[in-house]
Amino acid sequence: MSKRSHKNLSREELLSLFQTYNENKDPKVKEVLVDSYMNLVHSLARRFANRGEPLDDLVQVASMGLLKAIDRFDSGRNVQFTTYAVPTIVGELRRYFRDRSSTIRLPRGLRERSHTLNMAIQNFSQEYGRSPNIAEIAAAVGITEEEVIEGLEGAEATNVASLDTTTDDGDLSLLDIIGGEDKTMRLLDERLSLAGAMSSLDSREQNLLYLRFIEGLSQTEIADRLEISQMHVSRLLRRTLKLLRQDLTSKETYSS
Amino acid sequence: MVEEPEEIIHISVPTDERMTSVVRLATTAVASRTGLNLDQADDINTALDELFRFSVSQESKPVPSIFRIQYNIHADCLEVVTEGVGDSINDETSKVGRYCRFILEKMMDEVTQKPNPDGGLDVHIIKRISRGQ
Repeated sequence: MSKRSHKNLSREELLSLFQTYNENKDPKVKEVLVDSYMNLVHSLARRFANRGEPLDDLVQVASMGLLKAIDRFDSGRNVQFTTYAVPTIVGELRRYFRDRSSTIRLPRGLRERSHTLNMAIQNFSQEYGRSPNIAEIAAAVGITEEEVIEGLEGAEATNVASLDTTTDDGDLSLLDIIGGEDKTMRLLDERLSLAGAMSSLDSREQNLLYLRFIEGLSQTEIADRLEISQMHVSRLLRRTLKLLRQDLTSKETYSS
Repeated sequence: MVEEPEEIIHISVPTDERMTSVVRLATTAVASRTGLNLDQADDINTALDELFRFSVSQESKPVPSIFRIQYNIHADCLEVVTEGVGDSINDETSKVGRYCRFILEKMMDEVTQKPNPDGGLDVHIIKRISRGQ
């Protein structure tokens, strides 16, 4: 990354490099391409520099986005590389901030209430074999329905679950528990009719969608199968759908 | 929906992604007035979330300046009508549009569309209330 000699390549030279890289995935060519677009990486990273994270870290994250963009870019399309790369890099930076913001700003009172609600929902689901409604949770916990709503939605707004989060039971992460199945990607792609749409998700995220959309399990049923809480499934599902949407939006921007 | 709703609630929010949490809070609050359980309420929230995000995205054409939601509470279901969603949701070349329709169809019991006289589509989504066993 320290070499600066490649930065003044012409548009034609860059296009030629992309064509070469598309054909042979030569890491040396990739290095030249990365070097050529480091100004773009720095420029985009600086846009996020006032949010409390070191600029060096942001450059690293943005560089990851650039690597992905180079790998995915199809030089056969009549589209400028930057048109594709900018949303990909910005998406990577936003994902970084989203993941780091998890639980940081959650007030203690709300966190405790969220935990109480979580336990009440689990107990109710085990006892009655179904998900409770708001009134039933309020009655079980002894608070008002408004306080339940605030607890559920307030906590969810600030606490984005991570697939790397460990379970209450031990050291296993959800990634380990959910596991992977090769057929998931193919099935979901077929159902969605979105060839390649799932490629941005890892196999665990794909399997969460598989359980919800192909097997048609409710959140409570998924929670039972994975031995996690319904609230956790809700957060994971929301996070996974968000990732899928971001990837689709990025690809739509690229293709338009 | 043949019978009249027992209760009708309207909310209007600017077409701005930052309003997503407002829509979620309102939807959860409305769902609490019905017999919907958490799973069902979350399904509606997810469906509306995707519809709202589609409406504020560049993929939605035309883009409404105000996102209007009408909640019709019936004895056996919650019907939600969103006004002026971009026609492009039906554009088969739009992956985002197809994705949004997929989520709606998976999360809701019924999804129908009607042209809005002022442009775009009114999208009706229905979640039936399954009572406890």
